[in-house]
Amino acid sequence: MIKIVSGFSLPAGSTVALVNLCNQLNERGYDCILYGPDNWHMDKCKSAKMSDFCPENGDTIVVHNINLFSVVELYKIENKFEELRKKKRLVSLKGVFVRHFPRSRKHVGIRLILSCQENELFPLRRLNYAMFDKIHYVHSSQITYHKIMHRHFVCPNFSNHLIASEHKPIRTAGVIGSIRQEYQTEVSIENALQDGMEPVILYGYLIDPVYYYEQIVPLIKKYPGKIRFAGFIDDKQKIYDSVSDVYCTVGRAWSLVKKECALTNTRYHGPDTSSIEEELMTNDQIFNVWKKELEL
Amino acid sequence: MKNFESDFYNVLNLLKIREPFAFNRFSDGELYILQNKELILDAEQVKVGQTVTKGIYKEEDFKKFHPKEHSFYRDRLVDAFKFKRRNYFKGLSCRCCVGDENFQWQLDFHGEYDRNFTWSNLFVNGNYAKFIHEMYPVFNEYKTVFICNENADLSVLPFLVNDFRVGYNAMVQDYGLIEVIKSWITENNIEGYLFLFSASSFSKMAIHQLYEFCDKNTYIDVGTTLNPFMNMRVDRTYLKSFWLGEKGSDINKICIW
Repeated sequence: MIKIVSGFSLPAGSTVALVNLCNQLNERGYDCILYGPDNWHMDKCKSAKMSDFCPENGDTIVVHNINLFSVVELYKIENKFEELRKKKRLVSLKGVFVRHFPRSRKHVGIRLILSCQENELFPLRRLNYAMFDKIHYVHSSQITYHKIMHRHFVCPNFSNHLIASEHKPIRTAGVIGSIRQEYQTEVSIENALQDGMEPVILYGYLIDPVYYYEQIVPLIKKYPGKIRFAGFIDDKQKIYDSVSDVYCTVGRAWSLVKKECALTNTRYHGPDTSSIEEELMTNDQIFNVWKKELEL
Repeated sequence: MKNFESDFYNVLNLLKIREPFAFNRFSDGELYILQNKELILDAEQVKVGQTVTKGIYKEEDFKKFHPKEHSFYRDRLVDAFKFKRRNYFKGLSCRCCVGDENFQWQLDFHGEYDRNFTWSNLFVNGNYAKFIHEMYPVFNEYKTVFICNENADLSVLPFLVNDFRVGYNAMVQDYGLIEVIKSWITENNIEGYLFLFSASSFSKMAIHQLYEFCDKNTYIDVGTTLNPFMNMRVDRTYLKSFWLGEKGSDINKICIW
């Protein structure tokens, strides 16, 4: 059984990537289930709550966004389990690991993969990556960023089926991606408005409401009637059908936005960070990488 | 045992599968009106029955209910509170927010227990982040109509197709708007739409009467939850915690039944 377990299953790019991975594996005949602490993923793929997660002999476990440091520390955390759980939902998963994993970092019968979908938001050097059999990077640039020596493989995320939009609106901009300071959403909005776009629609998970209130709300007042907030929309085709242009300020090399713009005949205004080789990988090719690395 | 989070996801699921429903909320203000207590909320005073404290309210939240003068509207609120229909959900003030005595009063006043009882606070406190992150985006799936204060700026909400505005003490001053909305529904054959309400006690009467009139639409009382998107004041504790990052326990509060 392939078990994907993530410390974050709210609507954002990494969750969509894991949902797609789970669905692709199941569609191709490999039993896979996605565990997460939140509810959003529950009706998107074969899924369960974090509390149902239990490693079993023979499992391949793909871990995402969980700060596992050391087995020794896990034992200490277990002692503070109830206290820490109030602060962080992830502690419940750590508790599961504490109960099921031996003190040794050898996990006989369990293959442990760390899926790294972030850079500065999840620095690998701060956790005990040695306990994983392999690290999965979604882009080769992450190898340089994280600067750790460990067995790894690079494989982009599966992409959604998208088609060129038939009836595009005129000069309507989308700012696609989680709304947070690090992604400089406010700069993307300003760029779109300076290009004469109206309206500018924000499509993304509101990860930092304080940032929204401090940085985006003043723009809404400065440009009355021109900025709209849609939130995270599941249906990407609907997003691209609703905009003529997409603005992005901080480009992550593994972001699918540029590729999706090309598929939907949407103009892309943003950094060109992805490599041609990874852009061109089909879902079949991506699956073949997973098949090899998970030894399916 | 009722669960604050499960009830939220039950309502969210109905919205996602496009099964029409109504979610009506009876908060502390409505509770006092149902109890037939004089209620004055304004800048000068907060009067509940015989108890008077300093006023803290801004104009859009002004409310004045006098038991004799406004008995008609109280009767309509009672109608809304006692109305029963499939998928008509009634949010009650919970015991953790209004105390055991008031909570029990609601149940006793209602009579027979309604399995569609839920929390008035279903979208706020510990469920507010879920409301913003998971329910708000689903509004985009609907042709949505907003009934709200005349001062609200709705330009940020991309899903709106129409709006109806109310003013001060809308329960009394704008009662006739319910018939206007009914006419609009009939004349335009409105079905499958989503109606959002942020109009204080007016919302309660309107949601009841509109769902009774046409239960092929969905009617939700969103209260103050969307204020940050409407250029309205962010002064509730749960709003200040979520949007301003201020310390406060409400944003993590899981209300009990």
